[in-house]
Amino acid sequence: MKHIVSLTILASTVLAFASPVFAQTVFVSTQLRPIEEATVVRQDLLKDAGKVDYVVEEPPQFAVRMEAEAQAGKHTVSLVGALHGELSPLADKGQLEPLDELAKKLAAGGMPQSVLDLGKLGKPTQQYIPWMQATYVMAAKKEALQYLPKGVDINALTYDQLIEWGKNMQAATGQPQIGFPAGPKGLMARYFQGYFYPSFTGGVVRTFKNADAAAGWEKLKALWAYVTPNSTNYDFMQEPLASGEVMVAWDHVARLKNAISAAPDDYVVFPAPAGPKGRGYMPVLAGLAIPKGAPDTAGATKVIETLTTEKTQLLTASKVGFFPTLNVQLPPDLDKGVALLAGAVTKTQGSKDAVISLLPVGLGDKGGEFNKVYMDAFQRIVLQNEPVADVLAKQGATMAKLMTDAKAPCWAPDAKSDGACPVQ
Amino acid sequence: MSTETMSATETASRPASFASSRRWLLWSGIAALCAWVLVPIYLVALGALGGRQGVYIWPKTGLPTGISLEPFILFLKTEGVVQSFLNSLGAAGITVALSILLGAPAGYALARYDFRGKDSYRLLVLLTRAFPLAILALPLTVSFIRLGLYDTIIGVGLIHTVLALPFAALVTQGIFLGVPKELEEAAWVFGCTRVQAFFKVVAPLALPGIVATAVFAFVISWNEVFAASVLTVRNRTLTAYLLTVLSESPMHYRFAGGLMLILPSVVFIFAVRRYLFAIWGISSK
Repeated sequence: MKHIVSLTILASTVLAFASPVFAQTVFVSTQLRPIEEATVVRQDLLKDAGKVDYVVEEPPQFAVRMEAEAQAGKHTVSLVGALHGELSPLADKGQLEPLDELAKKLAAGGMPQSVLDLGKLGKPTQQYIPWMQATYVMAAKKEALQYLPKGVDINALTYDQLIEWGKNMQAATGQPQIGFPAGPKGLMARYFQGYFYPSFTGGVVRTFKNADAAAGWEKLKALWAYVTPNSTNYDFMQEPLASGEVMVAWDHVARLKNAISAAPDDYVVFPAPAGPKGRGYMPVLAGLAIPKGAPDTAGATKVIETLTTEKTQLLTASKVGFFPTLNVQLPPDLDKGVALLAGAVTKTQGSKDAVISLLPVGLGDKGGEFNKVYMDAFQRIVLQNEPVADVLAKQGATMAKLMTDAKAPCWAPDAKSDGACPVQ
Repeated sequence: MSTETMSATETASRPASFASSRRWLLWSGIAALCAWVLVPIYLVALGALGGRQGVYIWPKTGLPTGISLEPFILFLKTEGVVQSFLNSLGAAGITVALSILLGAPAGYALARYDFRGKDSYRLLVLLTRAFPLAILALPLTVSFIRLGLYDTIIGVGLIHTVLALPFAALVTQGIFLGVPKELEEAAWVFGCTRVQAFFKVVAPLALPGIVATAVFAFVISWNEVFAASVLTVRNRTLTAYLLTVLSESPMHYRFAGGLMLILPSVVFIFAVRRYLFAIWGISSK
């Protein structure tokens, strides 16, 4: 027995060393990580892009790796795909190759200049190429519609109506039926930055602790009475929706897609509710960038070109639920679930009271702390029931310090500022 | 040994029903223990094989409905799975070998010799676990790149050895303490050198414990994600390559991944079961 064990260990060690030689473009991505999505990228999206090694990575490891490769000066990664907020610290440290020529080509090929400009990250040169975009919507099981208050248009929902709807559902089923992704890997912080604050206060940073914000938090507490307490465990709302734990949920389109594509006839998808200041929403943008010193710039450029062709962008939309950055019409024969999601996105963007909340700019590597300010306020006010005014004053001070440290100017919907964005 | 003789004498002296109820108790106990281990594995298998919607069916039927091997096939078809599986085994192999080779002598020294600073040494060994890897990750990666260990299995194996060594040293210390010093001294008296005495007398007695240490080291390496994924790009271990993304995948993939994760551990533990039983004082002969 001893020999078998030691032989197995020896054999496996030897086998591991006899690994094949790689001569491929290494593409590290923090997006499209789940196994099915990664398989789509490897087999479909990158089919015409030459030999590409698509490696997925979680954001913390991604940040460490990029920093380490830059410090050591020896690069293995030729191309990175990441969110706007994950690329911005790299750009701040000057670790990204300028991509102006590619940007010019894409502008001629139908990518809106406004989208391309986001890829400059406030710098004079193009830092990344916008790859795909998404946003957040709400989804509900069709059986929940019977509890919708009379005369309410689901596509123009307000917070008061959502609360009443939640109350009706709870009264009828005996269970809270609304869910939010407030778990450890959920995107709840984005709800506050892109939806809650813009809707209630018309701002994100400036208005962090004003009277409108306090009123908004009171409203959220009222809503939370009809939100399932399991929400603090949910990372992706598609599972609780599919398993019937909740009937109504808010989340990122790509995190709702599996449930909705599997049973498109069971769901309605609609914009997030509006508050007194309008209907806040936040676009999500993922970009492709080439790190300085990349071993295979030509290969990386080819991958970017492939991923930004109209064909690949439409394929991306139908397979993984991220929408094109090119200005193209989605085909009518799109996956039914993706079509539902796309419809809700269009309705959100087109609604009269829409308040667009842009991605944070200039926070550099402070993005995580920025999220934490909102999540801490949420934990203390809503989950631990601490007095709203005290918490907002304390968290507001943290926020002000964060903004001064990062020297980040205000971004929409906050009014422009000279210097760091103030908390008023 | 004594269960049968005891029950035999009892059958003789007490009513037969008592013996049969004892037997009934024994077997129901065995059944309960087996169920304790097997039912969760069965449920995981059910989830893995039930397909995308099978996971959500309620109430559960307890029987497989619409068997689908799709998640497994996707796993096995994913590019580089086989290579990363081998990488995992390689890193675990290095970890097991190095942590025994370095940890066991350290444990022996701690058990047999009195030297100055022994206590602080023992504490220092544990200190390597006091720093979270996430903080060390950046300097570590930078120096690994400079040393040429970046993106190699040896590098991952070395880091996993660092993580496993404190356990190896402290666990083997306990094991060597359990081997009576008199036996070793007797071997010296009969003409063994210190080294011979160690290999002929101490090592065989300590073997079960050393194998248990190996199991620990193996599991530590097999499950470690952060270092394995930061320090490699193309030569990922299976855990870093595939299984970290499981938590973001649909339910039936999680179950399928869980089932595939259970298998190597079960096989490894099955292979070394004799030594494990020996530490628990059960003879399997």
